[in-house]
Amino acid sequence: MRNISKFREAGLLAFIFILCIFIQFKNPSFLSLENINDLLTNTAILSILAVGMMMVLLTAGIDLSIGSTLALSGMTAALVVSNNPELSPIVAILIGVAVGTVCGLIVGFLVSILGVFPIIASLGMMNVFRGLTFMISGGKWVSAHQMSDSFKAIATSSVLGINTLIFIAIIIYIVFYYFISYTRTGRQIYAVGSNVASAKISGINTKKTLLLVYTLMGTLSGLAGVLWVSKFASAQGDTATGYELNVIAACVLGGVSVAGGYGKVSGLLVGALLLGILNNALPLINVSPFWQNAIQGVIILAAILMNALVKRHATKENLMRRKI
Amino acid sequence: MENKRIIENKKQFNLKQFFFQWEWMLVAVFIIVNIMNTSLSPYYLSFSGIMDASMTFLDKAFMVLPMVFIIILGDIDISIASITALSSVIMGVAYNMGLPMPLAILLALTVGAVCGFINGTLIVRFKELPAMIVTLSTMTIFRGIAYIILEDQAAGKFPEWYSYLGWGYVGPIPFMLIAFIVFAVLFGLLLHKTTFGRSVYGMGNNITACRYSGIKTDKIKVIVSTLMGVMAAVTALFLVSRTGSARPNIAIGYEMDVIAMVVLGGISTLGGKGRMLGAIISIFIIGLLRYGLGLINVPAQALMIIIGIILIIAVTIPNINLDKLTKKKVAA
Amino acid sequence: MSVSEFILELKGITKIFPGVKALSQVNFNLAKGEIHALMGENGAGKSTFIKVITGVHSPEEGEVYFEGHKVNFKNTRESQKLGIAAIYQHVTNYPDLSVTENIFIGHEKVSPVTKRILWNDMHKRAKELLDSVGADIDPKVQMGTLSVAEQQIVEIAKALSMDAKVIIMDEPTAALTKTESEQLYKIAEQLRDCGVSIILISHRFEDMYRLASRVTVFRDAQYIGCWGVNEITNEKLIYAMVGREMTQLFPPKENKIGKEVLKVEGLSQTGYFADVSFNVRQGEILAFTGLVGAGRTEVFESIFGITKPDRGKIYFEGKEVTIKEPLDAMNMGIGYLPEDRQKQGLVLQWGIGQNITLATLKDISKAGWLDHKKEADVAKTLAEKVTVKAVSIFDTADSLSGGNQQKVVVAKLLASDLKVIILDEPTKGVDVGAKYAIYEIMRELAKQNYAIIMVSSEMPEVLGMSDRIAVMRDGRITATLEADGITQEKILEFAMLEKK
Repeated sequence: MRNISKFREAGLLAFIFILCIFIQFKNPSFLSLENINDLLTNTAILSILAVGMMMVLLTAGIDLSIGSTLALSGMTAALVVSNNPELSPIVAILIGVAVGTVCGLIVGFLVSILGVFPIIASLGMMNVFRGLTFMISGGKWVSAHQMSDSFKAIATSSVLGINTLIFIAIIIYIVFYYFISYTRTGRQIYAVGSNVASAKISGINTKKTLLLVYTLMGTLSGLAGVLWVSKFASAQGDTATGYELNVIAACVLGGVSVAGGYGKVSGLLVGALLLGILNNALPLINVSPFWQNAIQGVIILAAILMNALVKRHATKENLMRRKI
Repeated sequence: MENKRIIENKKQFNLKQFFFQWEWMLVAVFIIVNIMNTSLSPYYLSFSGIMDASMTFLDKAFMVLPMVFIIILGDIDISIASITALSSVIMGVAYNMGLPMPLAILLALTVGAVCGFINGTLIVRFKELPAMIVTLSTMTIFRGIAYIILEDQAAGKFPEWYSYLGWGYVGPIPFMLIAFIVFAVLFGLLLHKTTFGRSVYGMGNNITACRYSGIKTDKIKVIVSTLMGVMAAVTALFLVSRTGSARPNIAIGYEMDVIAMVVLGGISTLGGKGRMLGAIISIFIIGLLRYGLGLINVPAQALMIIIGIILIIAVTIPNINLDKLTKKKVAA
Repeated sequence: MSVSEFILELKGITKIFPGVKALSQVNFNLAKGEIHALMGENGAGKSTFIKVITGVHSPEEGEVYFEGHKVNFKNTRESQKLGIAAIYQHVTNYPDLSVTENIFIGHEKVSPVTKRILWNDMHKRAKELLDSVGADIDPKVQMGTLSVAEQQIVEIAKALSMDAKVIIMDEPTAALTKTESEQLYKIAEQLRDCGVSIILISHRFEDMYRLASRVTVFRDAQYIGCWGVNEITNEKLIYAMVGREMTQLFPPKENKIGKEVLKVEGLSQTGYFADVSFNVRQGEILAFTGLVGAGRTEVFESIFGITKPDRGKIYFEGKEVTIKEPLDAMNMGIGYLPEDRQKQGLVLQWGIGQNITLATLKDISKAGWLDHKKEADVAKTLAEKVTVKAVSIFDTADSLSGGNQQKVVVAKLLASDLKVIILDEPTKGVDVGAKYAIYEIMRELAKQNYAIIMVSSEMPEVLGMSDRIAVMRDGRITATLEADGITQEKILEFAMLEKK
């Protein structure tokens, strides 16, 4: 019972393995280098967002506004780029990141300082950011021909032979892993989610921690927004609508507890990968794209319920050990 | 110690208490919205105009009524728009496959009830999971099923009489408005005049005490969730009647509007507080605001922002503790 | 006056809370490398005293000396810095984090330059600390997967990691089994031999005899005395703890005991209680006593349908019954007044009237429709019957004093048609006047042939009110005694001493 987390990651990996064999059997192009590259590029954005969401979930919060934040920052960057074709892509990324950070800061302020429930705060801001996206674009798309080649190249270029998106995702995972595992601030995020009262007694500034996680979530959404727009070469008002659910799903699949306090980077990576494979592979084996929503939903629900059942079992085992 | 103490059991009318009610604030906002709209657009203040307008926002109003119960219970349900989509799709497909329309409608309501029942059952069986997370996943599943059934198609060509639901008038008053008023009265009575409603309030304030008092708390939660599902299906009936066809992607984002209306109506997300009347007034505030701004060509997106901000202000006001804020300044 | 003789010394400590003197001129001293037991009944002031030592409360009067220096702690961190650590009864930790992290939270080992957390060092040190107390716990596992006993050992390791010189253990063995307690004893002895001083708060005599060299007794916020453990006897100690004259008055008994109403056989619930059998008769007041945590509340919550017992039978009026939820019990005629009236008994935001009728909504409604007039009448009658001090039935419950809140919960019970009434700590936190009123109500109910079960930790009321007394210890009934001629000392023996 003490190795639940190892067991669940191994289980997930085994599931991924079997799934891959099955898909490969059905469609040999699945494990081609090209498709794997495609799969990872697609998963990169999801996994970047999952990093931020994991921190939010660790504090027992939730952020539903990230789809809108992503759209708003992507749109802002795209509009700036379409008006200034010579602009360096680095600046475009910085613009997106800045917009995202401000959005995250607002949600964080509402949650930590004003004490609004995370769900309500992020639901409200989700509307506001989405509305702003439509407003600044005037309801129009920014499409491929309006974007400079250098901007579109963010997603197609490669660094050290790895696609830039994948490269960025890897960097973020390394930094994040160090932050969450090896710094005091990172560990405080866990402490706040595991037991707020104790955290306060231990002298942890819980409000600061909350503000930090939502702001980081915003920063990552901003980055993801630029990458998204560059990858799909279009920015729309309804970009990434509902994408927050995929991100939450990746976290939950990866074993991050929605009640806070528990979650591992390795699990997160596996969760995001599984979701990425499902998204990539279902069309390959001729599962209609219309099935994807439902399949995803069922997998999320199953994962959540299983987590709950495993936890119950552990509690019961603990009681059994008390002899009377 | 005096043994005979007389305890009053008649309510004293308290003028101050009477006026310090959230609903009065809402009434004031309602009036301001109307004055604003009238001054902005000369076309606004016409009876028939407002009647017509009501039909554009009343579809989701049916979901506001049970959502009041859910939020008073301290829960939340964000799968409702997906239930609307699923029941409308099943109704459309069933009708197109030859089921008579009345039966198709009945089927839609049943689907709504089943979805709500599933939500409720999951919530009471897995009390350690927040209702938010449970309904988040069923939200994906319900709409997912709708997509499986209908893909990107639409089901439609409903009989002539069915469009009466969403477009018809009884005298000068839209049928939809009448239907809403009937439901609103029923739900209002249920909440404020019955033992069921009393239990719901009790559970929102202190569910443990209710359980120790012999109230079947699980059963009540399941019933409320089921009602929520049924009303989501009722929304589907009117929405599809107005649009003329059922699609898997209808009613996207309705949950957000509905929750915003309930919260604006003074119903605390902490549970246990608020009244049906407040939520009903706020339906009309948001609805008419949207209509009025539409008349002067303010885009719908601006309204999204306004609603988001209103929602946050409405939930923040009770949270701001002025003493605390001032104290902090001194400490800093 | 050799101050250096004691590592910790408190003189003339007085702590006043609004309306209550929680500590009055108490003294205490602790030598280096000593285990000193602190004993007293519930509410004697032990917890407050500990909070004064750790700096949670600052006393109104008196002085605290640590290693001969006068100190004045403003918060727990100041006392921690000097080496005072407290391990509380309800373990406060981070269940999701590893053992290592629980030990080191707030004072992690970090690399001096990069501030990187040195996990390997921490795991190693944690293992050393755990080994040093002889515990075989993997420092990498999640805290929440450990048993209560293991978690307590981790807390001790945490105290050691901060170089604690004084460790306060608040009821460390309350939730432990015999073997687990034995392990804890060994650890405590080991610490003592290393020069750590321990203040041991415990209700269990065996803890004290086994470990302590001296024992200090508090009673009713007063310092009673301090003795060497080998110069004191059970009788002397119990007398010191109970000591008071039976000044409290109880209404006279007028009840006649009739036939059996409720019988329970072999009721068990894993981890909480086992083989509980008893019966209660019409007109009888049966007291359930024992230490806090003995499993009394759990027994009655399972009988009332809040939780499910794993084994055992319940008979009501001679017929075997199954109770799935509270409503089943209430329909049968079993009522339960819960232990925590604020969390389990009342809707605090509501008026008295609505609270009184909450359990009997059926009686004040027709086909589901509330009859507000009837409700007001019922509420008024009952509120007056139990003499709630309030102006109107619309006064909210949170505006009432503890005693009056309790009367409202009693009124709620009386609204139902009951045969058995279970009262869990009915006078806890209730002032003397209201206490007497509650006793009167109990007597009146017994006279009217109700069977009454009173769960209580207060010896005077157990003796003064009951006809029979069941004593629980560690989840089992250790004795069922006729109340006539019994002494507090006898009951305490069954509640505290291990049976040989």
